[in-house]
This record gives sequence, structure tokens and C-alpha cells, in this order.
Amino acid sequence: MLILPKFVYYEPGDMSEACKIMSDLNGNAKIIAGGTDILVNMKKGLLSPGYLVSISKVSELSEIGPVNGSISIGARLIVAKLTEFDIIRKKLPSLAKAAGVLGSPLIRNRATIGGNIVTARPAADLPPPLLAMGAKVKLESTKGVRDVALDDFFLGPGVTVMRPDEILSMIVVDELPPFTGSDYIKLGHRKSLEIAIVAVASRITLNAPDGEIKDAKVILSSVAPTAIHAVSAEKVLIGEKPTDALLEKAARLAGTDCTPITDIRGGAEYRCAMVEVLTKRTLSAALKEARGK
Amino acid sequence: MRRMRCAMKQIITLFVNNKEYEIAVAPNKTLTQVLRDDLGLMGTKEGCGLGDCGACTVILDGRPVNSCLVLAVQANGSQISTIEGIAESHTLHPLQQAFVDHGAIQCGFCTPGMVLSAKTLLDKNPDPSEYEIREAISGNLCRCTGYQKIVEAVKAASENMKE
Repeated sequence: MLILPKFVYYEPGDMSEACKIMSDLNGNAKIIAGGTDILVNMKKGLLSPGYLVSISKVSELSEIGPVNGSISIGARLIVAKLTEFDIIRKKLPSLAKAAGVLGSPLIRNRATIGGNIVTARPAADLPPPLLAMGAKVKLESTKGVRDVALDDFFLGPGVTVMRPDEILSMIVVDELPPFTGSDYIKLGHRKSLEIAIVAVASRITLNAPDGEIKDAKVILSSVAPTAIHAVSAEKVLIGEKPTDALLEKAARLAGTDCTPITDIRGGAEYRCAMVEVLTKRTLSAALKEARGK
Repeated sequence: MRRMRCAMKQIITLFVNNKEYEIAVAPNKTLTQVLRDDLGLMGTKEGCGLGDCGACTVILDGRPVNSCLVLAVQANGSQISTIEGIAESHTLHPLQQAFVDHGAIQCGFCTPGMVLSAKTLLDKNPDPSEYEIREAISGNLCRCTGYQKIVEAVKAASENMKE
């Protein structure tokens, strides 16, 4: 049996108390939310924090709702709820889709959206659709609150811009313009309890249902140290009339925008080829949704 | 203020199978350990201990979870159902009976978790499709049956429970 190392456990009742504890403990503490990542790492001996600070009693972190036209999602919200709430299914369907393929049903009932972001795994399921939607995160500490675009948040595998005393409290997605569609596809060897070989999230915004592409985002996951934009694919799409040939061209460019490694889950060459396939499929689905079909 | 600070044991309350327990636990004890070692409920198995196999599945506040990845202190105040709470006195739950009738149990190690994942599904969705059944038990690994008999048992139980 795998035994957890010893630690001191804190359970603050609100955000200001949580921030104060994190500040007092001076970087020696780790936040525990769902625990599906940190407890695994602690059992494997990869981590052994002296202090664990649970945020499960900080009720404001489990709230979700529209705020001034944006959708704000509390970081403590469990992944299963992202697949259940109407506001996510209707307004951010690709996020609901990504949430539905994360881990297993048992994991989704504990794992949180904030946890899937702060752990900064290159194959994490929720960051790609959030990046495609231009999400921001709120980082809180006793020194104040700062908003960071998710695009500026990840620095490398397991590394982010967060300071040790900061707590990710909220994920904010601004209301998306009309005629917007998005999709997320994860490729794995099996459907459950799987880490992506390749995953792609795409989003298209048209200026009219039969018009040109006003904005496009293509996010590639599991093919670089962090989820990345397929920059040349995005560039070739914007301002153009969407045709099958254009989407295919963008997909081919996406295949050249990434630098995957060969590992146990897949070869680099295979991953590049699959990036092309998934980019084409997610763009087609996003376009269909943007046209209101 | 609900603040707690402790490396030593602390007192928590668990409502397990509709019975209240007040116990002293160290913060580094998982819910699996407390259910088995402190409450003697050995039906909950520990397999991988890392959230991959689902042998430790319990229903925590209405949702099936890997109890090996829940700190017992995190479950303070929660309602928990384990496999011991599923049967009614000496009558097996229809799911348990269907597992027996359909040969869905071989070594039996995954069975408590399978039954609890399936029970949560049927509580929400009394008439699931084969796909929905397979998805609901996709966090529970079985190395004996090849899953087919388990899926058949869940389907049969859903039909028996409608009657």
C-alpha cells in the first residue's frame, strides 16, 4: 500500500484566510483541491510538502455564473460539473466536451478545473479549449489580485507564472462574439483514463453566417512543452472565406507548427500527422457551429 | 471560523451507510485506510492507490470517487456509501444479484467498485444504453471478465429494477 508522507493540514473557511495562511507559510505549503494529482505525486514520493491547505471549505471558489457578460468559473469546481451545467454546455461546449474526456468518471468527480490548470501538464484536457476561448485566470494572494491571460500563464511542463503564495481563484471567459463555434478532440489509445497522444482545440468566429473568418484559434496539445497556438494555421484562416481547401491548408500548416517528442504514447512523426487530422476535424466542426448548424 | 490546523490526529465525523462515526484520524490517512482500518469495512479494496483502478470506489455525497485519493479529513461531515451498505439486511441489491446471476464476478476484487459505479448510474438513469453503462464503469478496471458479463449484469439489473 502506498502511504502518504506526513504533513500539517489547514482548512481555511474563506479566501482571505487562505491567502494569509499561504503567505505565512512562506512557500512551504501546497494547495489541495480535488487531490487527484497532488496525492498521487505525494504517494509516489515526488512531492512532500510540509503543509497542505485545503480550499474545499472556501465556498466562493465553487461558484459559477455570468458576471458582466463574462462567464466566471470558480477554480474549485469539479470537472464533472463542467459537463452538467447548462451555462457551460451551451456557451462553452468545447470546454464541456474536454471535461467529459478527462480521466475517468471517478476522477472527474474529484478533480477540479483549477487543478487541471495549475499542474501545467502538457497533455492537460481543459487548457486547450480555454486557450482557444481567450480565457483569463485570477491569481490571489495577500499582496492583491492579478488577472493573467492563460496565454501568458504556462512556462513549461509543471511550471507557471504563479508565485508560491498565490491561489488560482477564478477562470474568466469573456462572452464570445456571435457566429462563433469551437471543438475539442482528444486522441488516445482508449477512451477513459487516458493521457492524450495529441489533442486539438479550435475556434472560429465568422463576421456573418456565410461570411469570412474574423478570428480563428487553433490550440495544439501534447505536442510541445505547453499547449501552443498553431500560429501559421491561425494566420492563414483569418480574413478568408472558409472553404474545405482553406481548412486543409490550415491543417497542413498546423502540422508544421509543433515540435512533438517521441515517447511511449506516440512517435513524433505520427503526432504531427494526427495534428493535421484533428485540426481539420475540429475546424470543420467549429465552422459548422459558427454557421449555426 | 472553520479553520483547522493539525499534523496530529483530529476528530472527524463520517456518515457511512447511514451510521454516524466520530473518529480521530491523522491528516495523511486516506478515506480507504480509515474505512478499512478504523471502521473495519473491508469491502472497499485498495488496488493501485493512485486513482487508476477504481477498486476503492465509494459513493461520497452522491458521487462515486476513488477513496484512495480522498483524505479522510477532507470527507469530514460527508455521506458515504460503501459496498456494505448496498444490500438490505439479508437481501442482495438487484445489482449484486445480477452480478451473481450473470457470472460478472470472478476474482471479485473489482466487484465492490463496479457495483457502486453502476448503482450511481442507475440512480440517475434507470434505463441506460450499453454505451452509458460502459462509460459509467470506465474508471473501474476488471482483469478477469473482459467486462462483457459486467455490462450484461448492469443491463439486467436495470430491467429487474423497473419491474
